[in-house]
Formats: sequence, C-alpha cells, structure tokens
Amino acid sequence: MEQSPWRFIIKTLILLALFSFISAWLISLFIGDDMEGSGANIGVIPVKGVIMADGGYGIFSEDVADSTEITKLIRKAAKDRSIKGIILEINSPGGSPVASEEIANAVKEANKTTVAWIRDVGASGGYWVASASDHIVASRMSITGSIGVQASYLEFAGFLEDHNVTYQRFVGGDYKDLGTPLRKLEEDERIILQAKIDKMQDFFIEEIAQNRKLPKSEVKKLATGIFYLGSEAKQLGLVDEIGGKKEAIDYLKKELNISGAGIREYKVEKSLIDALGGLMSENFFQIGRGLGSSMQERERLEVYT
Amino acid sequence: MASRLKLPKERNFEGPAPAWKRLVAFIIDLLVLDFVVVLPFRKVFARLVPDTTSINSIYAYLTARPEINVWLTFISVMVGILSIAYFVILEGRLNQSIGKLVMKIYVKSMQNNITFWQHIVRSLFLLPVFPFVLLWLLDPLFMFFTASNQRLSEILSRTKTVQNYVVM
Repeated sequence: MEQSPWRFIIKTLILLALFSFISAWLISLFIGDDMEGSGANIGVIPVKGVIMADGGYGIFSEDVADSTEITKLIRKAAKDRSIKGIILEINSPGGSPVASEEIANAVKEANKTTVAWIRDVGASGGYWVASASDHIVASRMSITGSIGVQASYLEFAGFLEDHNVTYQRFVGGDYKDLGTPLRKLEEDERIILQAKIDKMQDFFIEEIAQNRKLPKSEVKKLATGIFYLGSEAKQLGLVDEIGGKKEAIDYLKKELNISGAGIREYKVEKSLIDALGGLMSENFFQIGRGLGSSMQERERLEVYT
Repeated sequence: MASRLKLPKERNFEGPAPAWKRLVAFIIDLLVLDFVVVLPFRKVFARLVPDTTSINSIYAYLTARPEINVWLTFISVMVGILSIAYFVILEGRLNQSIGKLVMKIYVKSMQNNITFWQHIVRSLFLLPVFPFVLLWLLDPLFMFFTASNQRLSEILSRTKTVQNYVVM
C-alpha cells in the first residue's frame, strides 16, 4: 500500500522550520545592538539613581547609576554611526564626585550633539553630568543645581565612652585614621577635611563654569549647595530650556537638521543571573565580614556631590 | 455495454509540464517557504534594516555600514540554503515539492534516477549570490522559449519537470 506523501512533507517542514528558528536565533545572538538599524538616529541613555563608580545589581538594591556601565553606553552610542544625537535622561540626586566626572567626561568625548533631559532630579553630581551636555532641558519643577560637596559620618565616640568602650589607636602616620567614627575629630583634622571638601567644591565649580560657559565667579555665587527649581535654574543660566523629552528631541532635530526622530533606548543589560548573583554576593559578603564591621565601614567618611 | 465496444486503450505518457502549472507550483512553494523558512528570519532582518520605505535611505544606510551588509548576505545565503534543502529533500524522496504535488507535476532525470547533485544543481538559483542570481533571468527565459519547457538549471542538471498525459 502506498503511503501518503503528506506525512513525510509535514515532517520535512517541521524540521526545516525548526532549523530556521534555531539559525535565526543564533544569528540574532551575534548581532550587537550597535548593528541594529531600526531607523533610530537618537540614542537615549538613562542616568538614574545615585551615581556610583561601581553599582550593585541585586534585585532589591536601590537604583544606582553605575558610571562604568553608563560610560560604556555613551561610548557605544557615540560609535554608532546611525545615532546622530544623544539624550541623557537624568533622574539622579548626584553621588560620587569621581563617578560623576567619569560620566561627564564621557559625554564631552562623545563627539555627538548631546542633550540632558532632567526629570524629577538632576542635582549635584546629576547636574555635573547634565552640564557636560550641549543643551539642558528640565521641567519647571525639576530639582536641579545643588552645586556642592558634602561629607559626613556618624561619630560614636560619646556612645562608646558611655558604654566604657575605649578606642585603642595604633597608626603609622598621624592622620591614617582620619575620619574614624570611633574617636572625636580633632580641630586640625577638621581643617584638613574641610580643605579637601573645599578643593573638591572648587573643581566642581570650575567644571560647571567651563561646561556652561559661565564666569567662575558667577557659578561660585550659585554654588551654595542650594537646589533650584527648573524655572529658577533657567533664569540663572543653569538650564537652557524648560520642557521634557519632546523639547529635547526637538532641539536635536533642529540642531542636526533631521526631519524624523527614531529613538533607541540604551540600557544596562541585567540578566536574572546578574541580579541574583548581585543579591547573593552582597549578602554573603555582609555575613562574611560580620555585621559589626559592616556597620562601622558604612559609617566612615563618605563624600558626595 | 461499454465493455462490448472496442474502444482504443487509454495511453499514459509523460510530457513537459505546461509553464503555467510550473509557475503556479513555484508560487505555492514560495508561499510555503515564506512561512517555514523566511518567517523566523524576519525579526533579524527587521533589526538590521532601517524601518523606512525609501530605497535611497536604505541604500545610504547600508553603504555607510558594510558590516550590516555582510550579515544580510549571510542571512540571505542561509535562507537560500534552507530553501534548496526544501526542494532537495522533497523532490529527492517524492520527486515533487508541495507545489508540484498540488499541480500534479513531478521531476524526472533525463538519464536514470535523479542523483543528489542533480537536485542541488536544479535548485542553485535559490542562492541569492553571484553568479546564481543570473539564473533568475535565464531560467524563465529558457523555460518559456524552449520546446521542452526546461529551465537552464534543468538543462544543466539533466532533469526535467513533467506531467502525465492521458490519451485515448
């Protein structure tokens, strides 16, 4: 009895479809984001959360703008020939001065027209990053400015004294334990720390003045650490335009002389394994080094812009 | 009554399949291939090619990005190879693709049984690279202007597409 050919045909089609799907999937793995040609000509890079040089990636960890990752994204967008302009979507209260400077430098080196779009907050280090772009757009209610440096820590000396705990000090170098929370800060130490902060503040002011093409003396007057609303910042010359994403895109369209805007969102890829890995490593690290030392470490002097 | 009549016996013979049947069969096969082979690659294509209808902007985009050209060529060749596999597997086993089965035509060797290489040669026009793309023009020309309705690929592979004719 002759067998129906359809059985063989269906088997063949399933096999071919399977092979096609696997091949297409494998090829898509090799095609990088920078090769995508969906017509995008504007790249949007998020700078969200506290700016740090090395952010954690746990599932429950707070938003961190990791400068290592963000600078990578900026360079990726800068290298992509189809991307003509970059929008930095900023929602950050600032963070580490070094990390902020790293991102700001990457923006300046991008060799593409850049716009900072400040959303809720673009303050301190967040504003430093924004200032590096060619144009700043913020909502009239955005919190921005806050040009200043802060450093703080909790001092436990009185608490330890009350509980009859003494701090035994052994140092090679008089100021090696400068800023330890376990003893009172001496006056000379206070002067040293303040001088460092002042120097950082000076760098910050210098950068803002240079980026915004404002006289340093003028920026110095504004750099009291106070934050400004978007509308105030516009009057003070810290922001160029009041608006949102639309205004940022319109600016790029006008500057680049392009009629249509295709947006490509650049994001730090976080796989589930990364997230779980980050969560587990953070917890094991804390358990490993002991809760007490962890607390002590956290209360040491930390500097933020 | 009919059995008492001395009617001439039915005669079957193979002859060249008409061009229109071959064309319809090919269109059916293309539809099948579009669904089975091309569809999975569509998403990858969409990622590489700009979302525009302007040929000029696509051309400008691809000229500026040779690395994408390489990937597009690679994917096209991959689709071509899988399409060849479709014809080789089905015609190798059944002497018919789905289109030919529907149109009741089939492939035959001009010598003995068709070999694997004969199947390959007759399907080489599916590779979208030079010189095989020349067959896109030459194959139909040969099919419509030769008495045996053979495509150039068929002449080269010494195969033909036939159908059964029944005459009294």
